[in-house]
Amino acid sequence: MTSASDDRFVNGQFVNGMMGGERSSPPIVELIDITKRFGQIVACDRVSLTLHSGRIHGILGENGAGKSTLMKALIGLVLPDAGQIRLHGKAVQITDPIDASTHGIAMVHQHFSLVEALTVWENVALGDVGRLDHRHVRERVGEISEHYGLHINPDDRIADLSAGMRQRVEIIKCLRRDPQVLVFDEPTSVLSPSESEFLFAALRRVVQEDGKAVALVSHKLPEILSVTDEVTVMRDGRVVRAGKTAGTVASELARAMVGRDVVLRREHAAFGLVDPNDIAEAPKPTDAHGTTAASEAAAPVLRLVDLHLRGREGRALLAGLSLDVAGGEIVGVAGVEDNGQRTLGDVLSSLAELDSGRVEVNGVEVATGRAGAMGAAGIGVIPEDRHDSGCVLDFTVAENLFIADPDRVSRRGFMSVASMRQKAAELIRQFSIHCTGPDAPMWSLSGGNQQRVVMARELSHSPKVLVAAQPTHGLDVGAIEYMSDQLRIAAAAGVGVLLISTELEEILDLSDRIVVIFDGRIVGEMAKADVDVARLGLLMGGAGVARV
Amino acid sequence: MSNLVETPHSDAEPLGERSKMASVSEVVTLYAICLFVALALAAVLVEFASDKGSWTTVYTVILDGAVRKPGRWGLTLGIAAPILLVGLGTIVSGRAGLVNIGQEGQLVIGAGVATYVGTRIGGPGPLALVVMLACGVVGGALWAGIAGALRFWRSVPEVLTTLLMGAIAANLVGWGLRNRFLLLAPPEGRANRNQVSESLATDRRIPRVEIFGNEFPLSIVLGIALAIIVWLVLGRTVVGFRLRMLGRNVRTAHRSGVNEKRYGIGAMLVSGGFAGLAGGVMLAGGDFGDYQLVANFGAGIGFAGLLAALVARQRALLLVFIAFLFAGLRTGSGFLRATGVSARIADVVQGTLVLAMLLPPAILYMRARRRVIAATSART
Repeated sequence: MTSASDDRFVNGQFVNGMMGGERSSPPIVELIDITKRFGQIVACDRVSLTLHSGRIHGILGENGAGKSTLMKALIGLVLPDAGQIRLHGKAVQITDPIDASTHGIAMVHQHFSLVEALTVWENVALGDVGRLDHRHVRERVGEISEHYGLHINPDDRIADLSAGMRQRVEIIKCLRRDPQVLVFDEPTSVLSPSESEFLFAALRRVVQEDGKAVALVSHKLPEILSVTDEVTVMRDGRVVRAGKTAGTVASELARAMVGRDVVLRREHAAFGLVDPNDIAEAPKPTDAHGTTAASEAAAPVLRLVDLHLRGREGRALLAGLSLDVAGGEIVGVAGVEDNGQRTLGDVLSSLAELDSGRVEVNGVEVATGRAGAMGAAGIGVIPEDRHDSGCVLDFTVAENLFIADPDRVSRRGFMSVASMRQKAAELIRQFSIHCTGPDAPMWSLSGGNQQRVVMARELSHSPKVLVAAQPTHGLDVGAIEYMSDQLRIAAAAGVGVLLISTELEEILDLSDRIVVIFDGRIVGEMAKADVDVARLGLLMGGAGVARV
Repeated sequence: MSNLVETPHSDAEPLGERSKMASVSEVVTLYAICLFVALALAAVLVEFASDKGSWTTVYTVILDGAVRKPGRWGLTLGIAAPILLVGLGTIVSGRAGLVNIGQEGQLVIGAGVATYVGTRIGGPGPLALVVMLACGVVGGALWAGIAGALRFWRSVPEVLTTLLMGAIAANLVGWGLRNRFLLLAPPEGRANRNQVSESLATDRRIPRVEIFGNEFPLSIVLGIALAIIVWLVLGRTVVGFRLRMLGRNVRTAHRSGVNEKRYGIGAMLVSGGFAGLAGGVMLAGGDFGDYQLVANFGAGIGFAGLLAALVARQRALLLVFIAFLFAGLRTGSGFLRATGVSARIADVVQGTLVLAMLLPPAILYMRARRRVIAATSART
């Protein structure tokens, strides 16, 4: 199924393509059977893709599907292990982004690389060699801005511009070199809906008027459907669906994007993870305390009511998020990256203060943003980035085990080194933390073991709620298995577990109940028993969600 | 994407802890090399620039002036006391992750307040001495506290505010010294000088002791006692633990219940308080003028203390020795000046040596940082 894409395009008629007249515009770029491995993992497995002049080609997939790797291969940030890149029919080798730009390929990255203190034209000229002709650069910026209706003043300072405007500057940086092919990586992830509209209008002009080819990497179904002429859906490093966009329905794409088949499940089990089916059938740990249904009926330990939070640039990070977690259940928050998961984690770590809304633990409201308040209220957190808010790298393992509660190993304000070492040694044994001892510096531990330290600390406080944000991110198979088991054990002991993850596999594996987060709020919910992957995909892609 | 792009790392054996002996010998070697290079450079400089004596005599004179000649190490101790106090304050704020570089100003304010109180209040001498020193502490603390408040309520970088507040402090005290109702001594007491305060009454001076012909004020004992206390508090108490946590990882600290406003401003107050105490001690100790406040009273002691804390790599006990070393450089090069070597050359020699002592901690710090970064990026 992997190389099915090629022939479908050859004589395709692109009904909604704006270049209606050119039925067989020659391909500008052909990626043929690109394969890229990272260690044991195949990021791209014989992926083929063709970009035509005058068309927008959408590349759809979950996090980790291989979209970005493919695009990085195209602009020379990644060298493919196998496969060929053809430009206008001729095989080329693209070794770095400069090389790519001489071939007329440019990319607008998801994260901007602009110098805030400089003006627009200065940023555009950055990286030029030779004498700087500022009048020329400014004129050129003005021209491009006018031509594509970007409304950018070359003399504005970047610091004064909104995210949408900054992106336009990035676009100008690309367009200045007059590329044939433009790649956009998740361009709308930082944009408001109206800014997105604006971007797509500009994209249309780029494609229509200049006959450029655009590749649009995205995970948002509605924008893929409304903007692109062709779409390629990737999953687990392979192309699972390719063809023209016209006549395609969101649900088909969603199923292709997240759909799991038997083969995948088996691979999954081979990795040492428990098959989701087995969990569903096996007696649940929660059964010892009462049925799952009963725990659902029980009063929630964690209740989030209508959380609102705006970021510094005015973008809504949380927009009315409400969610209940009962003791003993694992609630999985599924969703594509950057839809408010990080902010939710920050709120539950006392690191962000809400604009409005309530966080309640066992019915008692907890102040947000106040140092240590969430921890004191019984919310344990395994943060998304353990180095950011999970541990102190320069401290020892023992110190890290007691950062939240040094009083446990101290008397009258004085810490007892002996008691700290002894209790730390116990935890190290209990959680099989691999280190040279309680005095080993935290940075000397591997990622998996650092994560165990965080886990050990959070669980040793006997929390009522355990928030695990991307708990297995970057860990190897053994460590993943261990973390998953610990979460199950915690839930079995009556802790309400909130699992925030962009890995759908992980969510499906562990959760009793799955909710989907999109644009800062929960847009759907389903019980473990009746998971509908297609619906899940639609929700994650934001399809059918009314924009506010 | 991230999960696929990253190479999976096996949970390999954790890096073994480096053997302590190896790292100690490394540090010593590093210092030796840096000092040797600095001495050599300074020697070359003296050879070429000075007509008074060769480099050997210059170094002999420095050593004589710092410790060897009769009475000199007592003087060095007296100068070491305020350097040590300022350094201790720097360690407290530094461990909390704050860069206070305005000790010179906090010290001058402390000295000014101590002078005002010490020359005005009545009561028994020892009590008055304690009260005036305490007032100096409060003065320095509040001066630093302004920078702390700006930092935590308005996000103004404390590096800037402390330094700039230092300039304000110098001028403020200078202005006080021109006004009779503030610090200026009555006309009969100030000979021909314009900016000078009254001398402290003899019963309000810090007692001096004499050992083997060396005389020094008891303030050095106070300094060493405080060094032990700072060491204990930072290393052994919950408060110190939280303070260090704040300095290492603000977000983790916040999540773990460390209120960064309270701890941060507290650290700034303590830091300024130490500098203020140093000012009071300079005034009442007797090694800096005649127990009276004059213009430019700080004499760079605030900056010396800051440097000493950096050289001591924020270790309170090590700082005791480093402070003595810094004081020795001062007294030694003062002696050098007295022998006729141009003051500029003496300053350059001193500066070169200080730089040589600052390099190893910087190198060690960068290496440690790199190791952490390497460990971080390799294992995420």
